[in-house]
Amino acid sequence: MAPTSTTQPEAPAAGTVPAAGPAISLDGVVKSFRTGSETVRAVDGVDLEIERGEFFSLLGPSGCGKTTTMRMIAGFEDPTEGVVRLDGRDVTGVAANHRDVNMVFQSYALFPHMSVADNVAFGLRRKRVPKAEITRRVGRMLDLVELGHRAKHRPSQLSGGQQQRVALARALVNEPSALLLDEPLGALDLKLRQSMQVELKRIQREVGITFVYVTHDQGEALTMSDRIAVMNNGVVEQLGAPAEIYERPATRFVADFIGTSNLVRGVVRTNAGGLWKVEVADGATALVAELPGSVTTGAHIHLTVRPEKVRIGTEQPEGEASRVPGTVTETVYMGAATHYQVDIGGGEEVTVYQQNASGSTLVAERGERVWLSWPPEHSYALPS
Amino acid sequence: MSNRKFTPYVLVLPAWVWLALFFVVPIGGMLSLSLTTGNVVTGFQQTFEVGNYAAAVSTYWEQILRSLLYGACATLVCIALGYPMAYWIAFRGGAHKSTYLLLILLPFFVSFVLRTISWRFFLSDNGVVLGPLKDLGLLPEGFAVLNSAPAVVLGLAYNFLPFMVLPIYAVLERMDPYLVEAAHDLYADRVQAFVRVILPVSLPGVFAGVLMTFIPTSADYVNASVLGGTHNTMIGNVIQTQYLVNNNYPIAASITFVLMGLLLVGIFSYARALGTERVMEVHA
Amino acid sequence: MNNRPRPHMDSALLRGLTRARRSPLALPGLTRRRTLQAGGVTAAALALSACGVGGQQRDPAADENFWADKERTGSLRWANWPLYMDSERTQIQQFTEATGIEVDYKEDVHEAASFFGQIQPKLANGDDIGYDLMVLTNGFELAKLIELGYLTQLDHSRLPAFTEYAGEIYKNNSYDPGNKYTVPYASGITGIAYNPEFVDREITSLQDLWDPAFEGKVGMFADPQEIAVFGLLANGAVPADSTREDWEAAADKLREQRDSGVVRAYYEQDYIQPLTTGDLWMTMAWSGDIYQQNAEAGTDLKFVIPDEGATLWTDNLMIPYTTQAPVDAIELMNFLYEPEIATGLTEYIGYISPVPHAQEVMAEWSEAEGEGERAEALRAMAESALVFPEEGDYQKLHNYVALPPDQQGEFSSLFQAVTQS
Repeated sequence: MAPTSTTQPEAPAAGTVPAAGPAISLDGVVKSFRTGSETVRAVDGVDLEIERGEFFSLLGPSGCGKTTTMRMIAGFEDPTEGVVRLDGRDVTGVAANHRDVNMVFQSYALFPHMSVADNVAFGLRRKRVPKAEITRRVGRMLDLVELGHRAKHRPSQLSGGQQQRVALARALVNEPSALLLDEPLGALDLKLRQSMQVELKRIQREVGITFVYVTHDQGEALTMSDRIAVMNNGVVEQLGAPAEIYERPATRFVADFIGTSNLVRGVVRTNAGGLWKVEVADGATALVAELPGSVTTGAHIHLTVRPEKVRIGTEQPEGEASRVPGTVTETVYMGAATHYQVDIGGGEEVTVYQQNASGSTLVAERGERVWLSWPPEHSYALPS
Repeated sequence: MSNRKFTPYVLVLPAWVWLALFFVVPIGGMLSLSLTTGNVVTGFQQTFEVGNYAAAVSTYWEQILRSLLYGACATLVCIALGYPMAYWIAFRGGAHKSTYLLLILLPFFVSFVLRTISWRFFLSDNGVVLGPLKDLGLLPEGFAVLNSAPAVVLGLAYNFLPFMVLPIYAVLERMDPYLVEAAHDLYADRVQAFVRVILPVSLPGVFAGVLMTFIPTSADYVNASVLGGTHNTMIGNVIQTQYLVNNNYPIAASITFVLMGLLLVGIFSYARALGTERVMEVHA
Repeated sequence: MNNRPRPHMDSALLRGLTRARRSPLALPGLTRRRTLQAGGVTAAALALSACGVGGQQRDPAADENFWADKERTGSLRWANWPLYMDSERTQIQQFTEATGIEVDYKEDVHEAASFFGQIQPKLANGDDIGYDLMVLTNGFELAKLIELGYLTQLDHSRLPAFTEYAGEIYKNNSYDPGNKYTVPYASGITGIAYNPEFVDREITSLQDLWDPAFEGKVGMFADPQEIAVFGLLANGAVPADSTREDWEAAADKLREQRDSGVVRAYYEQDYIQPLTTGDLWMTMAWSGDIYQQNAEAGTDLKFVIPDEGATLWTDNLMIPYTTQAPVDAIELMNFLYEPEIATGLTEYIGYISPVPHAQEVMAEWSEAEGEGERAEALRAMAESALVFPEEGDYQKLHNYVALPPDQQGEFSSLFQAVTQS
């Protein structure tokens, strides 16, 4: 699973020392926990290189090992095997308070007995930064998160979103080489979460610090990240830019986990003019541009295609495209689009998102026969 | 559903009746008793004799102050012993937390007096603790702990230790464990994390623990009578004697109110000093 | 006196913690008593706050013809101290066999003062206190009961055994001249006990309690009536004739003893254990305690009646005026003076019987028994000066200072200022 970065990391902000190599690298990292008599490998061999200034997300369902991975970067857990490097320095076994990374906790973990300003100043005071500088940097940081007027309040007097920003400020004020965020928006309601996503991205651009972001929310990861590592069962399933992960899921897990994806079983038949013909459902033909390395003619595969890439019509379409007939089983009007469920035979169903660009007329009613088609470049074959 | 309106009142009614019957009425009775004159033979007349209070304070000020002092010392010992215990159970107790808590509470299954008496065996001049030390020549032959102020304070601390451990444990236990990680993350070493975060966050528990040990230890009489010597009488012993031996109910009631008043003043100034917010957190 | 343990109490605790023990009552004894003591405060406070009055003197004139119309009821209720009769209640069984009267025996007297506080409000109201017969020590509470007119005057024509068998010294006590209201149940001596393991000379005098050689090793009693007698005797005063000046001098003498550091602590009832472990070398003590401790634990504690004198106290049987069964109660009083019965009682409790004849009977029993543990025990007891004091001993024994209730408070305070500092 070679990392395939497509986005260039932004230039580091003034104040951070530019150095060669990645900000964070994990090399064959394994973490196993003993629960009773069983040993569970929560992280099962992860290699990662996170670039300087990058907004990097660890995405996956709960229990996939993403939080454990982050905690090993922070220094709260020691890897069972493997090496963790920060700025090229091996920090395996180095305590959290001696690592130049800071964390934003899911629960925020704000010190309830301190004011907002004291919370933010905590790290600087431990580092014995001069008083005047602490005051200046805390003030600047609170301004950055737009909480200057709340400096003297206790965390319990703030709203969830404000607490979240205090947690962010408390970590960022130390100008760490990387900021680790563990589901930081998880406790916020949807609207606030969306505005905080924008806010986080803005702040990250302004300070230019490497962000490592743990989330189970694929939308969040896609919106904010420069690169995403999708994790499952302790391993990285796919590493890449959001568009790449979305458009070209490398595994069935990724296809399934990221967005909505149609997975259609099929058998590879022939190659015609650079395109592979795949027989799906009851004899219909789909086209794919390439096959996974191990797959050849006659192999059983899964085809993936995103619902919004599929066109639906009552006429048989023309041209170089997958063409599959079916029967509409359900239509759901969603405002900007209409969702169709189409039975294509062989027990397979395909979901189609149709933009309502020209009004709200249905292309087809429930029970009507339709044709589905999609361009071959939007469809990928995954080994079964 | 108009009776819904009354439901809360109906529910608190038993509590109010309880309070009225077993707190307000006896307190009122005691107050009136403290202002009477007479003796058991002639009867006690309600003369509103405020002089009982003057007599109580002028005769027993030494025992009153000593009780507060012993109570304070015992409370400090309880903090010194109880905090680490609560800390250890809350953070290191693992799956056996309830076992450790049970162990803390175990002495409570034995009668208070019997527990105290057992200290006489431990602290005996030639007992299991001092005997071997004296045999080894580490202590002079005449060294004694029993029947002294330290013995009383230790006895008090021992008997009321769980009242300190439990509230501190309760606070530490429900403390967000990420607070400690956050402190480490922000460059605090273990000492700093404790001093700057854990300790201040657990202060409401300490506050509750102090109330729950200082009040009963100051008013205790068993420890002084079992472990004390000739100059360790606490005000509880005086009250007990005035009630039971002398049947001097007015003086006994007066001392009781003086003690109660002093404790209340103490508690409120203590609460004020610590900040009302803290106190509220305890009750929250 | 208020805290005097009944037989077996303190030795019981010690033995319970040191080795197996005959009586299952032993270990909980002290605890139960203490718990009830605390309960007593609350009960007294509640009782007082409820009615808001203290004592009211009753007119004893109404008692003139008390006995005229009284008849047996066939049952009676008796309040006694714990462990003051064997657990089979042998003497009660014998009484029921002899008379057919059923006895509801309750070990409800744990402490004179709190027991007094418990019955006093009811007596003031003329309500039944739940007992027809009770046992209290000669002391302030008894004086109050007599003064308040709460006790039934005894009809001596119904007490032939008492008249015949009671020792002279137990008749006509100073606290109840002519046994108008009470007859003794058992007596004990407050003297000096010491542990010869630590004290290497013979103790003969009260002055030994003031000897700086025993710094921090001397135990004194906390009870004002008890300690007062020792202070008075140490000063050469006669308790019965003592004046206010004598009391003050006695208190000063005791204060001097305290401040010299000789006194380790003032004990209520729990001095036996420290005496055996060496925390105490010498202490004020009750004869029966020491006798039982030596008899049952095999210790060799010494008990002496000092040259200057010691205290003889007596627990007395009495009938409250609210009794529902006076005839049954006085019959039982009389029954307990039958020598065989008194001997049986003494064998168990180990305190001094008011029936001197019991010594003879006990010796006879011991002869009849021949060999064995019981024979030995009976012989030892019959010969013990602690259970059957000699004539010379009685010469040196004094009662507590008897005082009318209005002087008791002042007297107590004088000595509590010494013991409760």
